[in-house]
Amino acid sequence: MSDPGSTSAAAWVAEAAAVFAKDWRCEFRTRYALNTLGLFAFTTLVVVSLVLGPVGVAPGLATTVLPVILWLIVLFAVTAGLPRIFVAEEETHTATALRLAATPSALFAGKLLYGFTVVLALEALITPLFLAMVQLEARRPDLLVAALLAGGYGLATGSTLVASIVAQARGKSALFAVLLLPVLVPGLLFAVQLTRAAVGGEAPGVEVQMLLLYDGTLTVAGLMLFPTIWNP
Amino acid sequence: MKTVLPWLLWLWIASTIVCAYLLAPPMKGFAAHGESSRLLFFHVPMAWTAFVAFLAAGIWSALYLKTRRPRHDRAANAAVQIGLVFCLLATVTGAIWARVQWGAFWNWDPRQLSITVALVYYAAYLALRSQVEDAEVRARVSGAYAVLGLVVAPFLFFFAPRVAAFSLHPQPVINKEVLTGQQGPGMDPTALAILVAGALGFMVLFFWLHNLTTRLAALEDDRNEPA
Amino acid sequence: MTPEPRDPSLAFTDVRRRFGRLRVLTGVSGRVGAGEALLVSGPNGSGKSTLIRILAGLLAAEGGAVEYRLGSRVLDIAERRRAVGYAAPDLALYEELTTLENLEFFCRLRGAPTGRARELLERVDLPLDRLAGALSSGMRQRLRWAWALLGRPQLLLLDEPFQNLDPAGVEQGTELLSRHLDAGGLAVVANPGPLEIPRVRSRIDLGRGLGR
Repeated sequence: MSDPGSTSAAAWVAEAAAVFAKDWRCEFRTRYALNTLGLFAFTTLVVVSLVLGPVGVAPGLATTVLPVILWLIVLFAVTAGLPRIFVAEEETHTATALRLAATPSALFAGKLLYGFTVVLALEALITPLFLAMVQLEARRPDLLVAALLAGGYGLATGSTLVASIVAQARGKSALFAVLLLPVLVPGLLFAVQLTRAAVGGEAPGVEVQMLLLYDGTLTVAGLMLFPTIWNP
Repeated sequence: MKTVLPWLLWLWIASTIVCAYLLAPPMKGFAAHGESSRLLFFHVPMAWTAFVAFLAAGIWSALYLKTRRPRHDRAANAAVQIGLVFCLLATVTGAIWARVQWGAFWNWDPRQLSITVALVYYAAYLALRSQVEDAEVRARVSGAYAVLGLVVAPFLFFFAPRVAAFSLHPQPVINKEVLTGQQGPGMDPTALAILVAGALGFMVLFFWLHNLTTRLAALEDDRNEPA
Repeated sequence: MTPEPRDPSLAFTDVRRRFGRLRVLTGVSGRVGAGEALLVSGPNGSGKSTLIRILAGLLAAEGGAVEYRLGSRVLDIAERRRAVGYAAPDLALYEELTTLENLEFFCRLRGAPTGRARELLERVDLPLDRLAGALSSGMRQRLRWAWALLGRPQLLLLDEPFQNLDPAGVEQGTELLSRHLDAGGLAVVANPGPLEIPRVRSRIDLGRGLGR
């Protein structure tokens, strides 16, 4: 126990699982994500639909434009809600305890998983409502699910890593968006294209493979860079 | 050598400019009777240098993360600062050229997308540095962001732009790539020589500015550091 | 000539650290061996907390070296972080979780059996089901002691360990520290004023603090 040697694989997984469980347990007690963030996402959705509604989108352009708007709403919610993953730890001074007790890569994995589940919850809330409000149908729902899963994972990974960077800086909220967006550009592009294919009922190009490659790359980069970001 | 270099550089780049206007022939397929091609002698070298700067910043950052020597961090920071200027110039000249050639400043051209995202990434790196007070944390954290940029670079500069450009977007597909591709091996030898000379000049300019900036930063750090 | 400290041992030489232009530590050295305590005193702003944080691996020193030796090996900074027991005013636990949930979480992180959490909470006389956010400042301090001892560390780094404690708490803390040192552990304790702790091998006074 006081042996400072490196952790075994099983211990690593147990650590990541403990972090994930702790974050969700705290979440259920405070209900931040479920209440505040969910409400934020919903409000954004309503406002966008209201503005879009009267003007409308020409039928021919619907499949091209609306997926972009959907992902922008998801991105907006992510930018507002995900920095908390690390910023809250620094603000409540619990980060010190984590720095001393946790294996950094396992901590990152646990936080990433938590972030991913939050993104999935947001997408589950926003997407059906959005499709209903703009009267859009997903002709290939399997592609839509793939886009939400793989695209959402990319958003979560980038956000978790950038959140850890921003937690140690000033001006956290604005800086988060500034740092995150360039990193997410490829993932967003692929996700939007895939969503377009889902809505239009077409066969996808290489978007799925690209998304998986992008997700994998970000994950490995995150696991390797996080320890440096987190600790001196 | 140090005192001679700036003069040599000045002469080199001045000659390149003169040659670009007087010596190089107007190119086929370019607007304004081929005269708009002259902009490329500046735009292309600046874009290449901007990408080299991006790469260099990533490599120096990775070096810093490995060795934790402040000079690597200074080198990475300087590369981004100077690279940002080259990147800005490349973006603007590219947009001007696009306007002359195709009538619009922005064309979803893969290269235009790449250079603009690089610009945003540079600026983000500098914004991050300005918001972290402690020197050690700043170096570590911005270094990690620069290395992340290197990792995402293939997606940013290669995969994503192609997916975006050749998508459902209805656009004139003749782009710079196709043009310069045609002109690659088949480019007029004089023009090619001037282009390469320009590229060389700009890159040496970049490294000279970089050297000055890092030396200045080292002096500033020494002034702050107790003996 | 003082004899060499026995295994395990902590030694730091010429540790320097500044924040911006402010030089907080200008070359501090010390060592402590098994069964010994090192007392660091000095007024507010003299760098006590900074030194403790550097020893814990939470902060990087700008010069000098820190060597924590266990057996024949010197631990690197990451290993040292996980190996020490740390308690300081800036250490906080999760307000939304109970004392038991908090400590069990950290047991899981360290790979320690979760029974250890209950054991330590009983040792410091804390209720198991009280939310950490609802604890008084004295009880929070006891929780910090429990947290520091969670991984059975051999090196304790304590920054103002008796702040906010009532006399019973002070007695408890001193007892815990004595037992730790008796068992061959080492400790570095920082405090603004004088302190009655056992086995003090050496003292470091960080001087007059700011405006030196």
